[in-house]
Amino acid sequence: MNTNRNLTHVSRRGFLKMAGAGAAGVAFSNLLAACAPKSAGPVVLKVLVPAAPDPAPPGVAKFSEEAFAKWKTDNNVEVVYEAPPWPQLHDKMAANFASGQYVHDVIYNCGWVPEFADYLVDFVKDLPKELVDDLPPSSFSTVTWDGKKLGVVFTLSLLTLFYNKEHLEKAGIKEPPKNWDELKGMAKQLTGGGQYGWVLNYGAPEGIGGVASYWMCFLQQAGGKVYDANGMPAFNNEAGVDSLQVMIDLMESTDPGSISYVGINDATNVFSSGQASMMMNWPFMWVPANDPATSKVVGKVGSALLPAGPAGTASIDGTDAYTIAKLSPNPDKARQLIEFYLDKEVQKRQVLDTGWLPIRLSVLNDPEVQAAAPNAAVVLEQAKNPYDSFITPDYNAVTTAIGVEIQKALAGSQSAAETIQNAYDQVTEIVKKRG
Amino acid sequence: MQITNDYNRRRFRMGLWFTAPAIIVLLAVLAYPIIASWVLSFLRVRFAGQGLSFQFYGFKNYTDMLSNQLFREALARSIYFTFVEVVVVVFLALIVALMLNHPLGRHAFFRVVLLVPWALAPVANAVLWKWIYNANYGILNQILVGVGLIEKNIVWLGSPLLALNMILLADIWKAVPFIALLLLAGLQNIPSYLYKAARLDGANTWQQFQHVTLPGLKTTLVISIVLQSIWALKVFDLIYVLTKGSPADSTVLLNYLSWRETFSNLDVGYGAAIANVLFVMMFLLALIYIRALRPRQTGERAG
Repeated sequence: MNTNRNLTHVSRRGFLKMAGAGAAGVAFSNLLAACAPKSAGPVVLKVLVPAAPDPAPPGVAKFSEEAFAKWKTDNNVEVVYEAPPWPQLHDKMAANFASGQYVHDVIYNCGWVPEFADYLVDFVKDLPKELVDDLPPSSFSTVTWDGKKLGVVFTLSLLTLFYNKEHLEKAGIKEPPKNWDELKGMAKQLTGGGQYGWVLNYGAPEGIGGVASYWMCFLQQAGGKVYDANGMPAFNNEAGVDSLQVMIDLMESTDPGSISYVGINDATNVFSSGQASMMMNWPFMWVPANDPATSKVVGKVGSALLPAGPAGTASIDGTDAYTIAKLSPNPDKARQLIEFYLDKEVQKRQVLDTGWLPIRLSVLNDPEVQAAAPNAAVVLEQAKNPYDSFITPDYNAVTTAIGVEIQKALAGSQSAAETIQNAYDQVTEIVKKRG
Repeated sequence: MQITNDYNRRRFRMGLWFTAPAIIVLLAVLAYPIIASWVLSFLRVRFAGQGLSFQFYGFKNYTDMLSNQLFREALARSIYFTFVEVVVVVFLALIVALMLNHPLGRHAFFRVVLLVPWALAPVANAVLWKWIYNANYGILNQILVGVGLIEKNIVWLGSPLLALNMILLADIWKAVPFIALLLLAGLQNIPSYLYKAARLDGANTWQQFQHVTLPGLKTTLVISIVLQSIWALKVFDLIYVLTKGSPADSTVLLNYLSWRETFSNLDVGYGAAIANVLFVMMFLLALIYIRALRPRQTGERAG
């Protein structure tokens, strides 16, 4: 027994010495590995985008996969995607940028470009002229901050009107509403028997697709703007009140669940189940609304310009754009990847296979595209009218303040005028705090 | 620890070496975020350049917070939410535990079924309730209309008080199982001879519950109340998935408000100040929890 003990005994001091030597050995080998010349492997590009069915690039969404594989081989690039659900994107970006570390090369952005402008590359000037000339000039308005073009929109995503043709026909309505009065009248006429004239997701106040952004459509239709030329709030006026009053008036014909729907899919499901006759929605809706697996209104969906207010029709921009992080070690390769995403053939497959419209005008006007996505022509027409999303660095705070007040008005607890006054006061405070 | 000789001193040093990795990990994952949160709450933090820019802000975040109506409302709602949840959860869990402790309820099947809500991932649970509460095709409306309790669908998440209480209901459903099992363990620790003695003394069922069960469960009940209070205070997933604080901020509780200010509005300092209020509340509850768990000293027994 004693012999065995002598053989296996390790003193505490000895144990610590061995552990220290082991740790030093590991550290030394790591150091050597770090100092060794690196092999010329592919350039790795890290890309943050939303998961499909939100607008996602090849490799995340199922389109142009062969072209994508070829591009990666030809350019000696490996693309590593991080594709969380859309609602997580902003938080991830905020955490990544706050860390001050390189995390991604290419980043999807949606209305957050001014907010994160300091972290993004002014790269649009380096894109091929032929490409830039093929993009709607207005598409750069939401990705431009302090005169720098920090992103490029990759899908023409404006809100337009979607309607159930069968519902309208049964009600003896020949054409979708062209103005506010027709909208309110038809919505009322189409409501009854468990069916509603209008549905939308008013549950979330903030961001693109929140209730505040929907009001911004009506505001522009009334001839109003959120900010004046000096960047100060400018909606406490007749246009502001009238635009909200339309939404309030529509409530009697609106699916009551709308006030609780926090995402566009909640409202889309109601429309696609045939329980609502009209809604405004993004162009992506065309595909799921005509997919028998997800819709009961296949072949019955129509698309039209948003009904006009006193100043005409107007919409907002979904602002889905690609940007490049300043800390990217490979900004040129990152730009080339974005150029690939905007390649004509990739853009065409994007709409044909996923339903997300292209941004390139030549592809939008392609007869094959227009045949497959009849709403493309409507969106193009809508784009000839105002579609400002009034993006600022404090867009989330501003839209939360406005959206919460609008929710009170839609619930009937305050008038349109009180709502606009309250929202105006809060937005003024937010803008002053921006400094 | 009192070090009286060289052996004890060496022993203490060696102990420190061996516990150092755990201490370092704890400092990194617990102490650092807590300290950082307090530091941030005295700064104005801006997203600028590479990383963040910091400016000393004194107590401004706290004074802004206290003068902010939404914060005061969120605090009141958090207290209401926590109080109601703790009362209902502990009451229901006690009933469930008593049933499971009954000879008829001791089959393992019941305990497994009971655990299902608790085992669900928080977001999956929230999505489940989102479907249940859906105003158009949610099963809750279908059932209530089907049995004739309501005439038309109710928008469960559409009005302020109702929405808050429906979130509360969903959280209670998830919380009851764990607390029930905790109380069941407490019930099974009560010696059966106490019940026998009580019966010999002529105590009826209620008197046995009052004078044997409740005193025997005292520590477990305190632990249940404290743990459930902490969990109720930090509710987030249900609000994020079901309402996003709507309608009209009526379901904004402190944890959600802290997230919104920090990550949505990027006001990191202000968000940290709100989080610190939650931290203080939970820290006080944790102190009670630790005290409840402390072994009783001789002479501390109830007479």
